[in-house]
Amino acid sequence: MSRILVVEDDERIRQSMRLALEDEGYAVDDVASGEEAVARFAAEPAELVLIDLMLPGIDGFETCRSLRRHSTVPVIMVTARSDTHDVVAGLEAGADDYVTKPFVAKELAARIRALLRRSRPTDDGPSVLTFGDVEIEPEAGVVRRAGQEVHCTRTEFRLLCELASNPGKVLSREQLLERVWGYDYFGDGRLVDVHVRRLRTKVEPDPANPRFILTVRGMGYKLAA
Amino acid sequence: MGPKGTTAETPPGTGDDGAPPTGIQPPRAARPTRLSSRLGLRARVTAAFGVGAFALSAMMSGITYFAARQSFLNERQTAVQRQAFVNASLVQNSLRSPGTEVNQLLESVDTLPGSRSVLHYQGQWYATSISVGQSTIPATERADVLAGTPASQTFAAGGSPQIVVGVPLPAVHAAYFEVFSLDELAGTLRTLAYALAAAAAVTTLAGIAVGRWASGRALRPLTGITEAAVSIAGGQLGTRVEAGDDADLQELAEAFNRMAGNLQARIEREARFTSDVSHELRSPLTTLSASVGVLEAHREELDPRARRALTLLDADLQRFKRMVDDLLEISRFDAGSAELSPDAVDPVELVRRAVQATSPVGADGLRVPPAFPVEVAPGVQGLRLEVDKRRFERVMANLVDNASAYAGGVTRVLIDRSPPADGAGTVPTAIRVMVEDAGPGVPSVDRARVFERFYRGGRSGRRESGDGTGLGLSLVAEHVRLHGGSVWIEDVPTGGARFVIELPLSPPEPAGEAR
Repeated sequence: MSRILVVEDDERIRQSMRLALEDEGYAVDDVASGEEAVARFAAEPAELVLIDLMLPGIDGFETCRSLRRHSTVPVIMVTARSDTHDVVAGLEAGADDYVTKPFVAKELAARIRALLRRSRPTDDGPSVLTFGDVEIEPEAGVVRRAGQEVHCTRTEFRLLCELASNPGKVLSREQLLERVWGYDYFGDGRLVDVHVRRLRTKVEPDPANPRFILTVRGMGYKLAA
Repeated sequence: MGPKGTTAETPPGTGDDGAPPTGIQPPRAARPTRLSSRLGLRARVTAAFGVGAFALSAMMSGITYFAARQSFLNERQTAVQRQAFVNASLVQNSLRSPGTEVNQLLESVDTLPGSRSVLHYQGQWYATSISVGQSTIPATERADVLAGTPASQTFAAGGSPQIVVGVPLPAVHAAYFEVFSLDELAGTLRTLAYALAAAAAVTTLAGIAVGRWASGRALRPLTGITEAAVSIAGGQLGTRVEAGDDADLQELAEAFNRMAGNLQARIEREARFTSDVSHELRSPLTTLSASVGVLEAHREELDPRARRALTLLDADLQRFKRMVDDLLEISRFDAGSAELSPDAVDPVELVRRAVQATSPVGADGLRVPPAFPVEVAPGVQGLRLEVDKRRFERVMANLVDNASAYAGGVTRVLIDRSPPADGAGTVPTAIRVMVEDAGPGVPSVDRARVFERFYRGGRSGRRESGDGTGLGLSLVAEHVRLHGGSVWIEDVPTGGARFVIELPLSPPEPAGEAR
């Protein structure tokens, strides 16, 4: 039974989320603040964390960044605002995905399943992918740049593998959303954009002028062949 | 949708409150016809400068002319009088010596060009020129001088101005007159008048030119302010005008910017309020939604009455959610913060997916296929449309909801290009998505207004399902406008309404890009 940590300050929302997620078969642990979340996660790691953006004390962004310093655990941001600013800020803080309040329990469960599924290494592609001075071992979940291990979240890793196994081929945002996040047609392209940006800071020599992960205007992204 | 209704069902004052009967309108005020109202500000300023320059220069020229004329005349008069007295005393002295030939005498004194002498001596009139004589000299002058009083007078003779000076010579019982022609002076004055008139004309033209330039310059900041106002009216609330260096204009620019700032703050405050309200509503909605989800999962454990209640609860929860979403969306449009996040997509796929997303989820967890066909006109395949998928999905959902709420549901969805493929190789510039129903249609008077917020017109009270929020069609219009497209309503020939959305195609993709 997968363990999920819910960080939400609203008591009733927290209880209803616990009920809904328990119905979906998850073990739920809930806390009311970012500080508690960091402490609880350190004491008892969860397999996935749901963080409300608006928290008293340290907010959701900061909580996510704190968790990210030590963990690649999948994080879903729960936000009342779907404005670009909040969504992008949440993703840049390290979240893998986001849901907007009020969410439908079934949809949230689907997002969680998608993230947990791809958290488990299931790839049976080539054993090593390389481009430039970057080396990826899909099975081991390891990325090295110039021999140094690069820490990627699982979503970043999946995205990198997707791009690296199709060098020179343009992958549209829809294709990436489907293959990496398990979204259908209406996934949010901003997820891809922000993750690509995050990846570039990790594998590109100059993230502002990418040499490997290229944007193909109006079409998507590709890895330079 | 098909709006509801025949005219008979239209509650009074709802259907046509947009166009009050003309009979109760106050009579229109007579249009002002004064020139100043018809001319533009710039023309008026220019005219004022022209008139001012003309009046001033005409006045200055007039004063100059008359002052010069007076001064010239006085000078001339003084000169001729002195000359006449000198000559008179010469004549008197000569006449005293016996045997003087009068005619010779007159000729000898008549030295100045343009001056002629006339002498009355011993009852006889003598003159040095046939052009002058007794009759030339005005009668009053003659009378005065013959009575013993010196006199001088200007008069016109033969169309040219003359001055005559008469000096009585009582010692010899004679009277000496000298007539001077003022032609030369008149010529000078005429030249002066021409020069002054020309100067006045030039000054007037210069005045007009300066007026035009100055008004243009003075109005230039207004052009900037006009542009800014247009931009603000168009939703660019952050538009401001440059203050520039001019102190007077700075005041105007500051006042304008202050106004724009207040307006923006106010609109943003309202939008923020709406946005805050809908965000606040999201917390309880989240609890409700999650809890209803749990109840749904345990539906089988509920007794039939509780299940019915749960169905109602769920349906209205969905409606409530939609309202909150719609309000939030509207507040974004109002705050000008609605952002397009476009993707280049296949329009057919887009419409099919969006239509699919409008169908309810069945008991098996799969979407029920839509009950209407999606048809594709020739020439649409292979086109790519730059569109915000989420917004397009909302547009389709709202149109489908509208049709089921007011027109018994959608009968078909048609995708076409614009202009339509005609085999002549016309280049498509837009995609049209048409949503048709078999309802009563939308009366043409309502066609623009159904896209207004909360507009129900003749449709009040005809809600067949509770799904409408009154914002749906206005959001359709806003979403489409954000894409640079347009939306309108036509009649379906077989009855019903056709909602047409036209979205401009994405710019052609650069050739040679691998796909």
